[in-house]
Amino acid sequence: MTQDNHNNAYKFGMVIDLDKCTGCGSCMVSCMSENNVPFKEDESNKRDSITWMRVYKLTNGKSFPDTEIAYLPRPCQHCGGEGDHGHSPCVSVCPATATDYGYDTGIVSQIYTRCFGCRYCMGACPYHARYFNWWDPKWPEGMEKYLSPDVSPRMRGIVEKCSFCYHRYQAARDKAYYHGDKDHIKEEDYQTACTTACPSNAITFGDLNNPAHKVHQIVKPDPHPDPRNHHVVGKSRNPKVFRLLERLGTNPKVYYLSEREWVRKQGDHYLEGEWDKIKNHHGTTSHG
Amino acid sequence: MDSALIPEGAKRCSLPKFSIGMAIVGAVLLWGVWAMFLCWFKGLNQTNMNDYYGFALWIWADLAVIAVGGGAFFTGMLRYIFNIKELKNIINFAVIIGFICYSSALLILAIDIGQPLRGWFIFWHANIHSMLTEVAFCLSCYFAVLTIEFIPNILENRQANKVPFFHHLAHNMHGIMVIFAATGAFLSFFHQGSLGGVAGVMYGRPFAVREGLLIWPWTFFLFTWSAAAYGPSFTLLVTKMTEVITGKKLVKDNVVHLLAKISGWMIVTYIIAKIIDTIYWAYVTAPSLGFKLSHFYTDNSFYGYWILITEIVICGIVPGAILVIKSTRENPTLRLVAIILGTIGVCLNRWVMVLQIMAVPVMPFDTWALYIPSWQEVATTVLPVAYGIMLIALAYRYLPVFPQEKELNSVKPITESE
Amino acid sequence: MQSATRKKQATKVIVSSVTSKNQKHETLNFNGELYMKVDRRSFLGLGLGAVAGVAVSPVGLKLTDDSSIWTQNWPWTPVPVDGRVNYEKSVCSLCPGSCGISVRKIDNRPVKIEGLSDYPVNDGGACLHGIAGLQYLYDPARVKTPLKKNGDKFEKISWNDAIALIAEKLKGIRTEGTPEKLACITDKDQGSVSGLFRRLLETFGSSEFYTMPSLESYLELTASTFHGKGNTIAFDLENANFVLSFGAGIIEGWGSPVACFKANASRKERHAKLYQIEPRLSNTAANADKWIPVNPGTEADLALGLCAVILKNNLFDGSATINFMGGFNKFNAMLKRDYSLSKTAKITGIKASEIEKTAKMFAKAKKPVAVFGKGRGDGAQSLKELAAVHMLNCLVGNINKKGGVFVKPVSQYLNFPSQSMDRVADAGFGKNKTGSTVNQLFEKIDKSAQPLIEALFVYNANPGYNLHDSKRVKKTLDKIPFKVSFSSLLDETAMLCDIILPNHTFMERIEDVPSGAGFAKTVVGLSKPIIKPLLNTKHPGDSVILIAKALGGNVAKSFEWANYDQCLESVTSNIWSPLSKRGFVVISKGVPAYRPLVNVSFLAQNPATINAKGDYALTLIPIDNMRLINTGTASSPFAVKTVSDTVIKGKDIVVEINPLTAIGLKDKGFATLTTPLGKARVKININEGMMPGVIGMVRGLGHTFDNKYVSNIGVNINDLIGQVIEPGSGLDAAFGIKAKLVAA
Repeated sequence: MTQDNHNNAYKFGMVIDLDKCTGCGSCMVSCMSENNVPFKEDESNKRDSITWMRVYKLTNGKSFPDTEIAYLPRPCQHCGGEGDHGHSPCVSVCPATATDYGYDTGIVSQIYTRCFGCRYCMGACPYHARYFNWWDPKWPEGMEKYLSPDVSPRMRGIVEKCSFCYHRYQAARDKAYYHGDKDHIKEEDYQTACTTACPSNAITFGDLNNPAHKVHQIVKPDPHPDPRNHHVVGKSRNPKVFRLLERLGTNPKVYYLSEREWVRKQGDHYLEGEWDKIKNHHGTTSHG
Repeated sequence: MDSALIPEGAKRCSLPKFSIGMAIVGAVLLWGVWAMFLCWFKGLNQTNMNDYYGFALWIWADLAVIAVGGGAFFTGMLRYIFNIKELKNIINFAVIIGFICYSSALLILAIDIGQPLRGWFIFWHANIHSMLTEVAFCLSCYFAVLTIEFIPNILENRQANKVPFFHHLAHNMHGIMVIFAATGAFLSFFHQGSLGGVAGVMYGRPFAVREGLLIWPWTFFLFTWSAAAYGPSFTLLVTKMTEVITGKKLVKDNVVHLLAKISGWMIVTYIIAKIIDTIYWAYVTAPSLGFKLSHFYTDNSFYGYWILITEIVICGIVPGAILVIKSTRENPTLRLVAIILGTIGVCLNRWVMVLQIMAVPVMPFDTWALYIPSWQEVATTVLPVAYGIMLIALAYRYLPVFPQEKELNSVKPITESE
Repeated sequence: MQSATRKKQATKVIVSSVTSKNQKHETLNFNGELYMKVDRRSFLGLGLGAVAGVAVSPVGLKLTDDSSIWTQNWPWTPVPVDGRVNYEKSVCSLCPGSCGISVRKIDNRPVKIEGLSDYPVNDGGACLHGIAGLQYLYDPARVKTPLKKNGDKFEKISWNDAIALIAEKLKGIRTEGTPEKLACITDKDQGSVSGLFRRLLETFGSSEFYTMPSLESYLELTASTFHGKGNTIAFDLENANFVLSFGAGIIEGWGSPVACFKANASRKERHAKLYQIEPRLSNTAANADKWIPVNPGTEADLALGLCAVILKNNLFDGSATINFMGGFNKFNAMLKRDYSLSKTAKITGIKASEIEKTAKMFAKAKKPVAVFGKGRGDGAQSLKELAAVHMLNCLVGNINKKGGVFVKPVSQYLNFPSQSMDRVADAGFGKNKTGSTVNQLFEKIDKSAQPLIEALFVYNANPGYNLHDSKRVKKTLDKIPFKVSFSSLLDETAMLCDIILPNHTFMERIEDVPSGAGFAKTVVGLSKPIIKPLLNTKHPGDSVILIAKALGGNVAKSFEWANYDQCLESVTSNIWSPLSKRGFVVISKGVPAYRPLVNVSFLAQNPATINAKGDYALTLIPIDNMRLINTGTASSPFAVKTVSDTVIKGKDIVVEINPLTAIGLKDKGFATLTTPLGKARVKININEGMMPGVIGMVRGLGHTFDNKYVSNIGVNINDLIGQVIEPGSGLDAAFGIKAKLVAA
């Protein structure tokens, strides 16, 4: 974090159109390839398979032929924490400051060489976005030649997760600096690997604080805390947009978009009758 | 053969018999050590933990031994700070149990972390907001305190005590023990609490999260309270077990009754607080996040409502009541039942606060996660038990742990033939 | 997030210790007046003191620090080499999609494949298989050098010896005057490399050139059936406003996958509708505006039923039908007779009202298009189904209209110089092909007592895996005395071959890559060598040229290029300059400006519907899953990693079945799947997205070659389904097979 741009800090975020997402898996592989994610012989146990970007399959629970499917890609949600103060569920619990909140970017980082593998952050994360290196990462002989120097391969015994391709942010920042406008990274200069790979253009990435960015225009984040839950900040004023488990107050920077009500409803838990009251209520009316 | 080391006037079994016993337990210990080295050299893939179960059997064992080890700090506090004289007759043993529990806890943590050689980063790069940082600091400091509390007892060994320096050191340490007891109580209060806080601050986990006071969630206070309540029960249980195994009475009934009474009242008050907490959580906290109680318990026989009823009623209200009422408390059978139930209760509480948290799905489209520990996990969890048995056996054999032993077993001092 | 500074030097610490009691005794003696008797206690004290001394010294801290630095730099965790970042453009040829790719390199080392922006096929998007392309390049299972089979083992052989050996065998066949007994199977007939193979066969004297079933082959067959030979069909999906898909997995890898993903995603903005007709709630069905479950294998009947509704209600485009040839009235009469609403409803399992509504919506839509090719479009299909679906397009008159179907001549951008034929070549080439399709070829070889084929070339194809009843195909392959595989991997077919001439992968070679597979534009891209060949492999074009030269005579005369590079430049001379400069050339785009003839004679004869074989109660159908490829090689480790545990669990394959049909079966339990061809152990996924009575099994698993990450997982569905040849077309038309499922 640099002091000089603290006042106009970025808040990088993402909105994923679940009506466009086809569950094709391009984002997952692009992420793995970009970030030197290892693979092992059996990856069918999804509870020990490192996938920074994981695509969940949702169903509406109805029987044939009324059953429906939607796919939900889940990167790290880069939570701002309660009140969006930077105390993400994981950051606030890490005993060794191995995961940190970037107040200048809104990105939750992971310092691999500092993490000592206590896994408290994994317990604290309700999105299961964090993965532990149960094994040494191993590539078949010769395959380590494709590893990218932008991201360190992780050693056994530590936690890793999506970084919003932080190295791409660094590259974009360097570029902006080079062009003499170090505080203004261009929207197209910083895009994550999953965003650029998506063949359906379902993912939109950018600065949630910047009204010129598409992500801001789709999400229309509410700058005021939710009057019904003061922990929640940045709720979308687009009625088709939701966040995962928003009520917990984690304040994710990953938003989801869907025209389908049953999909939106699966974003959070609702007591009986609650959904009908909540579903059309989005954000405060002030601040157009 | 080793009679010179045995406390004066105490009768102990023969060295070969003792050795055989130690060898059997030692074999179990070695099994655990083998598993421990597997985990260190091959990594945590030796366990059945996974990305959903980042905390599992070990962390439960860790929390459980710390909870039951809570007898040390609470008894110490009562003995040295509240100056309840009778408790001096059990304080040595309480300290040893505490020492075993805390050293085990540290060992388990050293196995549990993915990068044991970097474990010290918790101090070096400490994040003061993390409950685990608080745990690590208090745990280490309190372990140091327990070691200091244990040293005088070691120095009272017949041979060690012959060295004038050791003799005086032990004597002087007893004199200032009140300072350590106070420090220990303070530290223990905090780390017991911060262990509770570990779960309570996870606001991403509606099963775990609690409101609280300032930075401390209610689980912080409940953990301290429960450790203080159930710890003495465990001290009594181990004392009872030692008495059964050695076939001797080691602590006078009035001491036992007193500690049981204290434990009973603590359990009763704790369980009232726990019930209030549970009701508030079930009817206010969880619903505010969109969760019903049934979300946390049903659909799953392993984590059914039985676990809640067992923890609170069978292992909470029942032992509390038994230990509070004089007649039942002084009935040895009922008292034994109560201290066993109490010990189970606190362990079950820690189980719920570690493993059930991991099991409950949070994202609406996620599913329950169940796990069965691998043998390596079981072995490393048994390891501290074996180590504890060995240390208690050694301490009992060679150290004057129970001041009342001689009085209660008034046999003529027999010198064993070499 | 880069690893901290690397400290390479290890610190050695020597802890001096008192070695013996005696020594200490002496030391103390030396102190004279301080002499005291050393007993056990003071020895202990001294020892403790030493320990305490070491403990307070910096040694411990230093060791602690060093050990943690060591864990941060474990020598067995690779550290990628840094270097200058640069990007190179190329074209992916892993599937018929032919997407433009941008390869990020660190010095000469490719590290990431991404979609190429502004490429006319995929415009920046990429599929997971293309992105994982480097895993094919560095696959440790690649064939590293030419191999020759000796008994049941492969031996290394030099390129010269391998080429000489092949030439010798082929010369023998030619000497016997049976050059037509040389056959070749490739994946496609477009592009210069396929062109070289065909040229080799023709100049040698054989017409036995086959391609594996592919969407492209179905498109050409359908086009030639309706619109005359030499044509192909493309679908203008990005402009259509009502897509009626007969099981086409538009987002499951059908056609040019990324282009289809993009066209599909743009529906939301364009308010275009997609109706998906298939027995299973595929991703396409789930993404569609409406999913219409249909009895498997009755798609052709449904299409004809829809035609009947359109005709009956006069909803067809009269200006189009007026030019229909080949018996439109006869066709109409046949529909009236055999495809009444009630009959169609009964056959297909779809409500009559639903059929009627769909037909009307389709006919009334502004820009409707009906799309065929179930799943990825390369599976078994009958011509009846292809034709029946295409008839819908013809009826609503969307041929060569925006948002409709483009009928255009097969692109002829290559111009090979005229080839030199001798007498043997002319005689051999003049003979009839053994089969009209590769399926028929294998069937005939299998049934013939005489060796119909003496030598076989297999390039970019794996018939021993991909064709139905693959066990029988493998046995048939064994009947061919001499087989040469041009493959990068020891796949199922290569394992059976006598010689393996390993190819450069697409990352290592230059090649023209034409688009196809129903893509509306015709684009030729240039695949470029991104990295120098890693292994002792060759460009398949060079392998062919070397064989031709070794054969001598008219064959060698027809291959006078020094190498493939020279050949490519010469045969693409019309477009070489823009192709080599920009990396691609758009041959045609937009709506073709002519009105093709429409011949309905095939359908007017009312060809028979092919039914699934067997007597069991359930029907096993193949599922195409975007995350698994089915081109003959196995998917990459990354791709397999993304596959759900409801498809692969451990080494087991998971089949989908509706709860109503899953009697006695438990979700996640094991079962035995039996078809007339054999049995397989499978896991069960009880799935509401499956039509009752149908079992779904994914294609692309069950490879048997040596690769622990991607091979030997599950079963190959082609082992369980037998081929059924459609009379006339020669197509294998067996979509699925009857099966039973019993808990194991």
